[in-house]
Amino acid sequence: MLYGILEMFRNEPFLLFLITISIACAVGGIPPILERQRRRSIENDLPAMLEALSDSLGAGLGLQQAMMAEAERNSGTLGKLLRETLLESHASTFDSALASFASKSRSPQVQRVMHLVSTAIEQDAPLQEILANMSRDYERLNDLMNRRESDLMGRAILIIMFVSIGLPFLIAFIVGLFAPRSQGFQLEEFNSSFTLFFGAASLVAIGVSGRMLGRLRSYFWWAPLWMAVSMSIYHVGVLVIGG
Amino acid sequence: MRSLDESKEILYVIRTLDVLMGSGVGLEAAIHSIAQGGYGVISKDFSDLMVNINKGRQMEKELRSLLKKAETDGYKRVINTMLNNVTQNTDIIETLRKQGERMEETRTESVKEYIEELGGVPETLLSIGMIGPIILAILGIAPQLMEGAEELFGEMDQSAIMRIVNVGLILTLVGMALIGLKAHTKDPGL
Repeated sequence: MLYGILEMFRNEPFLLFLITISIACAVGGIPPILERQRRRSIENDLPAMLEALSDSLGAGLGLQQAMMAEAERNSGTLGKLLRETLLESHASTFDSALASFASKSRSPQVQRVMHLVSTAIEQDAPLQEILANMSRDYERLNDLMNRRESDLMGRAILIIMFVSIGLPFLIAFIVGLFAPRSQGFQLEEFNSSFTLFFGAASLVAIGVSGRMLGRLRSYFWWAPLWMAVSMSIYHVGVLVIGG
Repeated sequence: MRSLDESKEILYVIRTLDVLMGSGVGLEAAIHSIAQGGYGVISKDFSDLMVNINKGRQMEKELRSLLKKAETDGYKRVINTMLNNVTQNTDIIETLRKQGERMEETRTESVKEYIEELGGVPETLLSIGMIGPIILAILGIAPQLMEGAEELFGEMDQSAIMRIVNVGLILTLVGMALIGLKAHTKDPGL
């Protein structure tokens, strides 16, 4: 059976090449997903941390003490990162510890907050009020980002599933049923055009879905896999249904 | 691309200006702080502005030329507020705070609109992506299915039909891409 399946791809060197590339790219696509999960978990914790810091400052603590208290309280990724940073800060200045915390988080939100906190410390600005304002700002921003994610994720998956799986299967079914190879239909050029079309359509579907969710680049890692899946479904479907 | 970057960064620039100027920093020093980086295209604009000011050009003229370069309403309003502060000594902090609040409301609205507008994209994309290939697939196999029925349907050349099918498939792809383009052009820039 395995040889039978392999035999189906005998005259499709491009598809075989794409399948090989897709495995490599799928492996490359995993780190951006993990990184995004980590970054979003930090960013979702950020407003609560800023609010807690603002409250602690209001209670008369210094910023470093407030951060230490928050590091002990927070059990998430942000708390862990904060604990590491504060440990390191014993050997350096508090300002450089803030900069290190920002760069370690690899989050533009945290980097902006830390930049603003350092500027506020430098300029002797009212830190408690600034932290409270930032907490509200970032809470609203994260709410919007999470809403976009939850509302559009289903639609993005729907596009990929229909274009990359449903469509090639449907066309393979129609072609295999009405023009079976076993009855002498000559459809090499036709099949080649449609196989390439499904690959390109999957690429468009991945692009649209990725853009909808605001992460086009990380979605493109999965493009070869979906292209290969779509092209293989059509190619194998026509051969199996058409005999 | 520039307008997307501007709308993404402007709110953070307003908050930074608010913090800096609210704690007594002057406008030029605040612009210098933002010019050091972290705010995308706005940092680049402010950096160019600072270079020209250091060459001896007037802040007012530089802000006016930046106003022409700006693409989004929010960015234009912020530069205008700075310009008014330079020429008429207006209360920039209060104006920036109000602008920040208004921009945040606009951003929330534009995200809601974006989600609503993209609601129809999957259906439209799938309609074109499915109807086009189904019709073209039937057309592509028609010459062989209709073999022997030339008297009824006339002579059908397989290679000519295949050319029509290929053009049709390319047009379907272009149509799908154009529908999907909405996801890019309407992006609220979070």
